[in-house]
Amino acid sequence: MRIASRQHFEEAVAAARDRREARTRDIWVCCGTGCLANGSAAVAEAFRSRIEAEGLQTGLGVYTKTTGCHGFCQRGPLVVIQPEGILYTRVQARDVPEILEKTIGRGEVVERLLYRDPNTRTPVARYEEIPFYRHQTRIAMRNIGRLDPGDLDDALALGAYGGLVRALFEKTPEEVIEEVRKAGLRGRGGAGFSTARKWAAARKARGDRKFVLCNGDEGDPGAFKDRSILEGDPHSVLEGMIIGAYAVGAHEGYIYVRDEYPLAVVHVQKAIEDARERGLLGRDILGSGFDFDLRVSRGGGAFVCGESSALMRSIEGKVGEPRAKYIHASDRGLFDLPTVLNNVETWADVGAILTHGGEWFAAYGTAKSRGTKAFSLVGKVKNTGLIELPMGESLRRIIFDIGGGILKDRPFKAVQTGGPSGGCLPADRLDLPVDYEVLTENGSMMGSGGMIVMDDRTCMVDVARYFLKFLSEESCGKCVPCREGLRQMLHIFDDLCEGRGRPGDIERIERLARGMQLGSLCELGKSAPNPVLSTLRYFRDEYEAHIDRKACPAGICRTLTTYRIIEDPCTGCHQCTKVCPVEAIEGRPRQKHRILPEKCISCGSCYDVCPENCIEFLPRGGREEAIHGHADH
Amino acid sequence: MATLTIDGRRVEAPAGTFLLQACRQAGVSVPTLCDHPAVEPYGGCRLCVVDVTRPEWDGWRKMVVSCLYPVEDGLIVDTRSDRVIETRRVVLDLLLARSPRTPLIQRLAREYGIERTSYEPNPEPTDCILCGLCVRICDRLGHSAIGTADRGAGRVVAPPFHEPPEACVGCLACAEICPTGFIRFESGPDRRRIWNRDFEMVRCPRCGRAHVTKAQAAWYARRMGWPEAEFEVCDSCRRRDMAATTVRLGEGPTGNAAS
Amino acid sequence: MEHSSRAVACVDLAPLEEILQRYPREEPSLIQVLQDVQRAYHYLPCEVLERVARELGVPLSKVFQVSTFYRAFSLTPKGKVVIKVCTGTACHIRGAPQIIDEVHRRLGIGPGETTADLGFTLETVNCVGACAMAPVVIVNDRYHGGVRPASVGDYLEPKE
Repeated sequence: MRIASRQHFEEAVAAARDRREARTRDIWVCCGTGCLANGSAAVAEAFRSRIEAEGLQTGLGVYTKTTGCHGFCQRGPLVVIQPEGILYTRVQARDVPEILEKTIGRGEVVERLLYRDPNTRTPVARYEEIPFYRHQTRIAMRNIGRLDPGDLDDALALGAYGGLVRALFEKTPEEVIEEVRKAGLRGRGGAGFSTARKWAAARKARGDRKFVLCNGDEGDPGAFKDRSILEGDPHSVLEGMIIGAYAVGAHEGYIYVRDEYPLAVVHVQKAIEDARERGLLGRDILGSGFDFDLRVSRGGGAFVCGESSALMRSIEGKVGEPRAKYIHASDRGLFDLPTVLNNVETWADVGAILTHGGEWFAAYGTAKSRGTKAFSLVGKVKNTGLIELPMGESLRRIIFDIGGGILKDRPFKAVQTGGPSGGCLPADRLDLPVDYEVLTENGSMMGSGGMIVMDDRTCMVDVARYFLKFLSEESCGKCVPCREGLRQMLHIFDDLCEGRGRPGDIERIERLARGMQLGSLCELGKSAPNPVLSTLRYFRDEYEAHIDRKACPAGICRTLTTYRIIEDPCTGCHQCTKVCPVEAIEGRPRQKHRILPEKCISCGSCYDVCPENCIEFLPRGGREEAIHGHADH
Repeated sequence: MATLTIDGRRVEAPAGTFLLQACRQAGVSVPTLCDHPAVEPYGGCRLCVVDVTRPEWDGWRKMVVSCLYPVEDGLIVDTRSDRVIETRRVVLDLLLARSPRTPLIQRLAREYGIERTSYEPNPEPTDCILCGLCVRICDRLGHSAIGTADRGAGRVVAPPFHEPPEACVGCLACAEICPTGFIRFESGPDRRRIWNRDFEMVRCPRCGRAHVTKAQAAWYARRMGWPEAEFEVCDSCRRRDMAATTVRLGEGPTGNAAS
Repeated sequence: MEHSSRAVACVDLAPLEEILQRYPREEPSLIQVLQDVQRAYHYLPCEVLERVARELGVPLSKVFQVSTFYRAFSLTPKGKVVIKVCTGTACHIRGAPQIIDEVHRRLGIGPGETTADLGFTLETVNCVGACAMAPVVIVNDRYHGGVRPASVGDYLEPKE
């Protein structure tokens, strides 16, 4: 039913809370993209049918909820039993009867499904006690994993739209902007521009047709916080956008979601419909007299559309080609009208700021980077997933305390932040506090909050080449330095990785990088050299090895690397033969194995699984002194 | 009017114009490849970069493309700073790699001291530098017969599906605006061929010269709501008619026609 | 001059009619309409694009431009089984390149290519945001995590 006044809203919230509290037992099954991929839909269905078949629903008050992403995607499908807060990981449909019988029926814990600390191997029962969650402070992701994204009442019970009510009924638009200014909120999409300043400029802009937009084109490979927010708590984004629209005087908005996030599109669309039905969108929102409505615009698959002017062209139905931004979007944005564009996470923060006040938010974080920040922690780290914590925490704490350290306890080599616009930071930067300025000063960037952890089995030249390849495919091709510069830069890196590096390459790279930084039209091109320059800054010796010795110290560049089995410790466990995709390893079980050089494609699969550490790699052309094996790395 | 300083000289420029015009009016030459007065500025070639600063910026400066940066009172523009020259050199070096045999690019590169590209020369040299002038003029004239296809390094100028474009009227504006002569055409007394499409020519009923295509005349007629025959007379004959009329008007109703 | 990218085929326009009903007839609908066309037809047939251009009042050259600019669109029919290998950073460092090589070794197709019998299409996708399960392969919209070169064969059984 349509909520037509503030009082009516409070009543609706109270009713939703009562209903939520009346549920004695909740079973939350995560249905984010990660868990769905691991089969969580079947788990949810198994709970539902089993509960129905056994008549548990009426008798005990057990409710199965599909929730959005909990962030701990690697261990999915995740199931949480409330109110105890027991977290089960890697649950399959066949585990459902046991959970119902033991945990729901007798209050016992099914130990084998508990999360085990990867270092101590001790099982942890409660959600909040798991280090991965315990160290977090969630604001933007405050309700993710705690509610059913398809149930507006669930969101209302957890405080959704409370900030909107305060904005609409207690504050003028200027006061809303002031609250956001006090919070010190800066753009969570990466550049870190002051949100309040953006809004104030758009408020001042002339004209009665203005837009607010949400940038959900989370294109940085390795980042998925925006996906999880859109999938797991779309109402937090809607709430922020309505508040922002009220502040700048806009009545129309778009949520731009990348095409690669189909589930996010579905959840956002449902949330918009629900909000419209209840009077939270549309004409005369909550009886306040303010009108605002939202539409979803699906991207077409182009990284450059994360750039604001390209994103606007894309919503207009055009190719995503950036424009010079000497005239700001707050004056001439979408359809050349005043426009405010913020990132998903920024919008999600706004509702909480209006609910609790700007000062509350500003109490978190560092002097210049206030509040919390969401990151996706991925790569060669034990606990991968989505985290949120106050700005200024150290990389070490993120990677080792929350992330649990490096997979297989291999040496840490670098962490990549900021996606293709960012850079790689080495071990001696692990104690840096993470905020916008510090990352930039050290040659990286906040970006979309992707943190990709790399171990010694990562070649930094290859990583730089990876980003160049990515960007050369994603450049729109409008301006010369980006289009031709990336093509030439990639060419140089192809040569480096394939043993054709020449003296002078480093200087050529540096000169071209500078030209691209200064000359490119948009941020994609201007920041494209960052992964190159940061790896060159911290891992110059690896570049030199590729050029001078035609060697890849990490053993990743295939044309430069061969593998062989050291006979001595080989026990003939046969694991390497199982993973070899080209049958290049011969040897009977329990006898010494041998790699056939003529068949081997140097993929390194065997090296990565060998439990005896008896596989080593060496530069092709085999100079014995250049051997790199497990022992010396 | 805005008063700004370009390379140390005070210059006045009308508000709402861009730095590039102001530079040119001040006699300062700035290279460009994608700028043309007939179309909106584009900012694609990046050759017209300049450094700008203001006294209150405390020495901080930013590099902008002059074709798109609006003139501002008090702006200090440096068109010859080291990094401006170096950026143009990188751009020309890259373009020379793309189009190693294109005379215009060779000449510009040489002006900036580049004889041979320091990058990998294009294995398939092309004269197309993707300045976008052809696409923009075609849009501007209302045909939108051609566009770009693909993106990044694979970007090309192309008609839809790489086929003879239906919306083309054979006006040759794309070929005429192309700075490198990449867009080829053939034009004779009866037929014209461009983008793999053949066009029948209209001969001027007065002088017999083939001056527009039939499709062009039809397009103009439709656009203006005039009869097609209006566009069959060529511009020179039309001018001649106009001059004759003017002379007649000057001579009054009883005067003799001028020869 | 490039080769024509027009595929000659007779196309049923009924699904298009239904798609066009969902959106206002204006340029901003273009990408949304093409998304739905791609899903309904599994590619963008020329006849359909010509019709879309007319209905939305957008020059065909711009429709073609958009169709070739965005990765979500394809002008040629795709295979029955579409294998998308995620090449996000996390997937890259956890072995996505080896998976692409393995698919190529087995099917002889590289990224963006389709087997001659229209059985399989190999695509790469720049991060699907499931990095925690890297490397990720999506086979006809089903996500598979922790994929290894040796397990690629399991996904190559023709389905449907």
